[in-house]
Amino acid sequence: MFKAFAKGLSITFKHMLPGHSTTVQYPSVKLKPSDRFRGLHRLVPSQDREKCVACYLCPTVCPAKCITVEAAENDKGEKYPKVYTIDLLRCIFCGYCVEACPVEAIEMTGAYELANYEREDFQFTKQRLLK
Amino acid sequence: MVNLTIDGKQVTVSKTATIYEAAKEVGISIPVLCYAKKLMPYGACRFCLVQVEQMKGRLIPACTTPVSEGMVVTTISDEIKKVRKTVMEFLLVNHVLDCPVCDKGGECDLQDLAYELESTSNRFEGEKFDLPTDEVNPLIERNMNRCVLCGRCARVCDEVVGYGSYSFINRGFETKIATAYDRGLSCEFCGQCVSMCPVGAILPRPFKFKARPWQLKEVDSVCGYCGNGCTLTLGVLNNKVETIRFNDKIGVNDGNLCVRGRFGYSYVNHDERLTKPLLRKDGELVEAEWDEALQVVADGLANAQKGQGAGILSGARLTNEELFVLKQFAKTLGTQNLDHSGGECYKGVTEGLKETIGISASTGTFPQIEKANVILAIRSDFYETHPVVGMVVNQAIRRNEAKLLVLADKRGKLSKLPGAKTLLTKPGLELDILNAMARVLLDEGLAQTEGVDGIADLQAALANFSPAQVAERTGVSAEQLQAAARQLAGAKNSAILMAYGLPYQGLNKELATAAANLALLAGIPGREGSGLYLCGEKANSQGAIDLGILPQGNGMGAQAMFTAAAAGQLDALYVVGEDPLSSYPDRDRIAKALDKVPFLVVQDLFLSPTAQQADVVLPATSFAEKDGTFTNAERRIQRVRRGISSPGQARADGAILTALAGKLGSSLAFTGPAAIFAEIGKAVPAYATCSFNEIGPQGVVWGGESLQPASRKVVAVAGGSEVEGDFRLVTGSALYHSGTVSTKAKGPMAVLAEPYVELSREDAKALKVADGDLLKVAGNGVELKLKAKVGNRLPKGVLFAPYHFAEAQVNRLYKGEAVIAVKVSK
Repeated sequence: MFKAFAKGLSITFKHMLPGHSTTVQYPSVKLKPSDRFRGLHRLVPSQDREKCVACYLCPTVCPAKCITVEAAENDKGEKYPKVYTIDLLRCIFCGYCVEACPVEAIEMTGAYELANYEREDFQFTKQRLLK
Repeated sequence: MVNLTIDGKQVTVSKTATIYEAAKEVGISIPVLCYAKKLMPYGACRFCLVQVEQMKGRLIPACTTPVSEGMVVTTISDEIKKVRKTVMEFLLVNHVLDCPVCDKGGECDLQDLAYELESTSNRFEGEKFDLPTDEVNPLIERNMNRCVLCGRCARVCDEVVGYGSYSFINRGFETKIATAYDRGLSCEFCGQCVSMCPVGAILPRPFKFKARPWQLKEVDSVCGYCGNGCTLTLGVLNNKVETIRFNDKIGVNDGNLCVRGRFGYSYVNHDERLTKPLLRKDGELVEAEWDEALQVVADGLANAQKGQGAGILSGARLTNEELFVLKQFAKTLGTQNLDHSGGECYKGVTEGLKETIGISASTGTFPQIEKANVILAIRSDFYETHPVVGMVVNQAIRRNEAKLLVLADKRGKLSKLPGAKTLLTKPGLELDILNAMARVLLDEGLAQTEGVDGIADLQAALANFSPAQVAERTGVSAEQLQAAARQLAGAKNSAILMAYGLPYQGLNKELATAAANLALLAGIPGREGSGLYLCGEKANSQGAIDLGILPQGNGMGAQAMFTAAAAGQLDALYVVGEDPLSSYPDRDRIAKALDKVPFLVVQDLFLSPTAQQADVVLPATSFAEKDGTFTNAERRIQRVRRGISSPGQARADGAILTALAGKLGSSLAFTGPAAIFAEIGKAVPAYATCSFNEIGPQGVVWGGESLQPASRKVVAVAGGSEVEGDFRLVTGSALYHSGTVSTKAKGPMAVLAEPYVELSREDAKALKVADGDLLKVAGNGVELKLKAKVGNRLPKGVLFAPYHFAEAQVNRLYKGEAVIAVKVSK
């Protein structure tokens, strides 16, 4: 019985040794999330514009109805999103928008520090999402 | 009837049905791209291939194969699925994968089919099309890269519209749909091809990139323009009418629309819509609150009534319910001076038809025209005023080999239809021809005189209308005349069509009477399948007549009101939904009357020229913002439904009138259109046949499909008189516009933005004018400068000017006569 105790506690005490802690001293130390992490969205740019063609599939599939798209025609006669806004307060980070996008114009980044002071600051417009 | 088995289900259908239609009957859907209900079977896409037990060894196209007794059909099997998938692969070899940017995405037949057939890969490789898009016109965009060559656009343009813009050109892989010389689309822009295209090859430009189909709220309503009463399905997004959706399941128009119906909706979203009541203070119109404005109107009208009286003038685009409230309001106010639409143009119905056949309405319904054997259109402008009825005429000719006779002073769309015989008369002499045709019927014993009164009088009156005499006067040969009369009398079913409206005021009553005479002699009124149609220019012209928005008792009509006002004998005028200054004949007289009348109230959508003269302007709502009913020219009562809310503080006419009546101390109040409709039923027995909520998707035709005439009496009418002079001007409606409100709509304005005067090539040559030159047109003591439009449809010496454009002031020249003698110079 004593043997079993020792074995178990050795694991516990091992964690107390320097270099064995899983706690990270956030915010001075930051973890890099996995590649598949679903953080803040990003609109992917192409050469001279955003890749997005304003097909309205993301606002349609979005279960939280947090995406607003308004399509328009640019000088070249192409369809582009005149307005593309994500209301992050409503977003549930499900990633359906990324899945639905037929042109891979939206992706989710590793950015997870999304706290802010004003409600307006959670409205991510096209310009902010393209950064 | 034929019995057959489809997928194990027993079906009994008529022997003219195809396998596709039979399958649809029992709820089995066979995929199709090229099939459309209203078009002839074509068999272009090969998606509808099915197996038939009796025709083993190959697959049979369901949409072109008629059913036969004992057929055993299998609509789905592994083999069929494989073949359909291969057809899809063939189509997708060249088809661009534009779905994310294609406006058809979400309601595309090809997309749906590809999904259904699970086409995810393609065994064939080929180059994607890279053809330039056709954007030469402002309303319809054609992207031939997306075309699947089903031919629906080419067929609908030919079979239904009768225009023939499109055709297949080239062969093999290069095949495409093109316009003449591949120059791009330039047509009447009815947009039937847009509604028929199963893919995104033909799309409405005003709606480009505006929304996805699944985002739109669909509201079924009735078009607010002409008296044809086409059902419209409004596509509403964010409280704005963004487009008109294709819908062939409801209404009388089978999904057909004209340029106004399909592209003329944008005036409801116009920036210049009135949003607040305006009051004239110190000579300026300033915004005011409703309560204040209504009080001023109520006081003004009540004071006028104590003095020399007030008059009420209404338009014919109010709903039946609003017209009823208007009539009640007139009673509350105590005035008998009530009228609509200028007071003259509808007299063919209220007087001409009333005196002869005893009713004030068309006797048949539009679907019957398609079955008619002989159709007589009086004034070729019928297509311009009622394009969708014109399409029915075209279908009658193409499907049922109907004979079309056009009696007019100019050629038009109808004259170009296959086999159409145009009796081209000098302007103003249509009457003589109708009289001569009546005489031919009487002389040759073809007339049905039994039970018709006044035959002897008519015979005497027609002494001077022998075909030879009339031929000399009108320029239509006697043989043509006789042949036309014989055709009309000999037909099993025939239809006589005539349009009326503000620009067709002259000789309106006489023409209607002569047409009714002819109809009676040919036995048309009341005969099943035949009809005499007098079609109003506005959406609810018939409703206004049915509800009696006419002078009450000894009251004054519109013209009398203007005369009285100009003489200072009318103290107030309340104009609801009309712009007399822009659209009524004799503008100068109207202007004088409006100037003189001490108190003028205008209730309208826009600050029209008339409204600018007003003391109070009340903002009203368009057809898309209200509930109610319209009665179309064939007596069909249809529901108008609210699709959007009104801009600013604009209120429905009915609500304004009720509030005004309240200010005058009346207890006039209704819980809604249904309650008013029930009240209408009490006042107008014809409307008591159904309740408001019983009006179905096809509407309710009061009086039945064939309205029986209340009397049969022919009334002699004198002939027209020829107008002297080198040039004679006639006014009318242009195809792209209806009334004056369409000049606020982007679609019609994109096609026809400016007023013009049309003349023949011969005259243009003689006057040395080219298209677009300014012409001086002088007559009736007025000279106007109008842009010349040179065309083929007018005979020498005849000019035509549309009346829609207020700024052109054509109604200064036009004082209500049928023909105006003018002088033309460069």
